[in-house]
Amino acid sequence: MADGQIGFTSDRTAALLEVGDILDIGVMALDRSLTITGWNAWLENATGKRAEDVVGRALLEVEPQMRAIARSAIEQAVNGSTMILSQRLHGFLLEIPAPAGYEHLTHMQQSVRILPLYDDSDAASGAVAFIQDVTERVAHEKELRIAVEMSQSANRAKSDFLAAMSHELRTPIGAMSSYAGLLADGLFGPVGEQQHKQLLRIKTIAGHLLGIVEQILTAARVEAGREQVTLSNVDGISLVRDAILAIEPQVAEKGLVLTVELPAGPIAMHTDEVKVRQIVINLLGNAVKFTSAGSITIRVEQPDAASVALHIADTGIGIGPHDIERIFEPFVQANRSSNRPHEGTGLGLSVSRELARLLGGDLTVKSEFGVGSVFTAVLPVDGSMLESA
Amino acid sequence: MNLDDFESDALAELFNVGLHRAAASLSEITGQRIIVDMPRLVICLTEDIEKQLPNLFGGEIATVHQVFGGAVAGDAVLLIEQDKAATLAKLMTAGEAAPSGRLDQSAREVLAEIGNIVLGACLSSFGDMLQMPVSFSIPRIHIESLPNILRSLLVDSDEVQYAVIVATQFRLSEVAADGFMIIAVGAKSLAKISKALADRIA
Repeated sequence: MADGQIGFTSDRTAALLEVGDILDIGVMALDRSLTITGWNAWLENATGKRAEDVVGRALLEVEPQMRAIARSAIEQAVNGSTMILSQRLHGFLLEIPAPAGYEHLTHMQQSVRILPLYDDSDAASGAVAFIQDVTERVAHEKELRIAVEMSQSANRAKSDFLAAMSHELRTPIGAMSSYAGLLADGLFGPVGEQQHKQLLRIKTIAGHLLGIVEQILTAARVEAGREQVTLSNVDGISLVRDAILAIEPQVAEKGLVLTVELPAGPIAMHTDEVKVRQIVINLLGNAVKFTSAGSITIRVEQPDAASVALHIADTGIGIGPHDIERIFEPFVQANRSSNRPHEGTGLGLSVSRELARLLGGDLTVKSEFGVGSVFTAVLPVDGSMLESA
Repeated sequence: MNLDDFESDALAELFNVGLHRAAASLSEITGQRIIVDMPRLVICLTEDIEKQLPNLFGGEIATVHQVFGGAVAGDAVLLIEQDKAATLAKLMTAGEAAPSGRLDQSAREVLAEIGNIVLGACLSSFGDMLQMPVSFSIPRIHIESLPNILRSLLVDSDEVQYAVIVATQFRLSEVAADGFMIIAVGAKSLAKISKALADRIA
């Protein structure tokens, strides 16, 4: 074609009809007066209208119900514009019955491209429409959409239930723990040594329960996208030391060796203190839970000026390659089905990874089954970068 | 090679007419009121496009790409950030396309139709002004990063390439999506456009 025009010349119509049949698409050619000049075998099969009965007749005579927008698109194409009629916005161009198995639809769903045709002198002389049957794809997308909606709805219901249930539990458990503490302290009268011991046991158990409820509440908030980040200036090293203090009694109880490798000076962070502490306590608690003998090592370093990396290594049972990513899914413990079940909800690692990501970082693991694991949380030093992103 | 202020204003007006024509077509098709803002226009060498669109770096972008030929020839690309493109497709189809915020096949096709209408309306304005037809290839939709998109514009160019960058906003249902058009043309085509604009002003 002369002058760099893009498109087909009218004398290519026969070839285009044949190519359409090879590619399993409908091809209809029209001249400028919207008279049909080509109708391939695919269209004959789909519509039941033979080419010899259609070619030479006006488009609107063959398709009297054609909608104004579709007609306008064809008119624009014969005047030189390339047109697309997407299935989502138009449904169909030609009145073709729905294919077998999709009779609940009124028509075959179509994706249409209409290109102008030019004559030898580069003047627009007609148009050719390429019609693709996308009924099956549309049906699959609809099934997928319904499945996604159902899954989202079920997830929302689950999160709402967990949040409501946890909230209802948190208040009475908190009260139980407080009253047990007050009783143990002798605020309501003297208590014997045995009574004091049992009251402290109640307080410890209530504290443990409260921790589980808090974990469930955090998981529900994260899943619902309602977990908020509250930034403040903190020393990352002090945060880690606080978490170590909280976990030390459990380490000692199991007779494990705790090795701590921290930088000499402080690490100034602008982050959510509560969430970072929760991540560190969760990871240390996890290491203690799955290590029956040996050691736990906690190491903090700055791989670059913008981030802090926290490595927690243990000599525990380790994780097999098939479970390595599953352990970050909620309610999953890699050895849940083993003969030695471990206590806990299976939420700690999932919540920790979500919180790390919420703070602009991530949590990863390297592990060898039977040898041990190294969990690494990398967090940005300045969380305000997250707010401006 | 560049346009003077009068020619730039005239070109912006030309795009404004094209974009409003596109908005009217989209409103008619979707049955929703779609508004397109007055475009802002920058002309630069194609290798300087990155500097003009710093905010589009980083994320994946949905692009509708058409090659055009005739009186003027070049590449036309509509760029919308991927998540905004999915929102746009979802709103225009009353939630039918891109339900989970991802651009599935049907949503991509809707976007191709939107791109075809927007690019077609703007490029037709060139044809109208030059009183010569401009023809377009079938639009291709891609999801990729800006550097990759730009690489596809910078290859196979024998002459100095210029880019007309048109920035606008599509608004519907209280949602606004920034859209950018890049019209990449060679020096000869830009000279033709410049002359036609000068004639129009005169």
